[in-house]
Amino acid sequence: MEIQESLGFIEIKFGPRWKYIAVVRAFIQNFIAVSYLDNLRADKIAMAASELLENAVKYAQGEETIVKLQLLPEKESIMVSVSNQASPEAIKGLKEIWDKVMQGDPLQAYIAQMQLAATRNDSKSQLGLVRIRYETGADMKLDIDGDKVTITLTQS
Amino acid sequence: MNKLSIESIKQDKVTIDTQDIADGVKIIVSGDIDMQDPSTLLDPLFDKVHNGVLSSGLKTVELDVTNLTFLNSSGIKAIAKWIMKLAGTEASKKYQIKILQNKAIAWQATSLQTLTFLVPGSVNVV
Repeated sequence: MEIQESLGFIEIKFGPRWKYIAVVRAFIQNFIAVSYLDNLRADKIAMAASELLENAVKYAQGEETIVKLQLLPEKESIMVSVSNQASPEAIKGLKEIWDKVMQGDPLQAYIAQMQLAATRNDSKSQLGLVRIRYETGADMKLDIDGDKVTITLTQS
Repeated sequence: MNKLSIESIKQDKVTIDTQDIADGVKIIVSGDIDMQDPSTLLDPLFDKVHNGVLSSGLKTVELDVTNLTFLNSSGIKAIAKWIMKLAGTEASKKYQIKILQNKAIAWQATSLQTLTFLVPGSVNVV
């Protein structure tokens, strides 16, 4: 995600550890809340970043996870992206779930995925992406460049 | 102690208390659920609630999340899993799940209503 002309931006680079997710979530929430004075919106974007970071901790390879957040002047949009490296198997799995949950009505996709999640006995939920799509109403984009995966969402 | 003999839980950043109400029990969940695998905490709790309510013939379970500020998608999965148990429950034994929400918390205003679609007629959000 290129840094565009913005009302403000942050970039956080860290080794993905579970204990840092809540810290980053709180920081993003505060950053948006003081910029746009909209707590509900800040909560939604912070939730989305948190879900993406959970995925990064669970499935990423390597130490470098990068979170970028920009407040764009046009329609007071918020753009957030999370980048990390991943194995070919993890990328294949991500593409499969992406293709499945990014189609059709967001609410119906969320309900269907919840029903499926309820049948799982492992620790995976596979609800993160579909939850983000439904709860934030954001435009979402997946970019894969070799072993680098970037998920970007833009909310107006 | 409540009707189902469920003890209070305090783990990580979450507290869960169970109280008696007129025709059932109320589960009060407060704090944040953002641990890596909340199913280890929530699945046994909801199993105990479900089985206890069925064997006691209770008709209502209130899930009070008004002070639950964050719930990750693995936590949502655990609640969905509990609700879906009602789909396979004999009609005469079915109970009602009433979720008490706080609309000032963003995830609650959006995600909780979706839970009502899992087993239509069994869950309401107020």
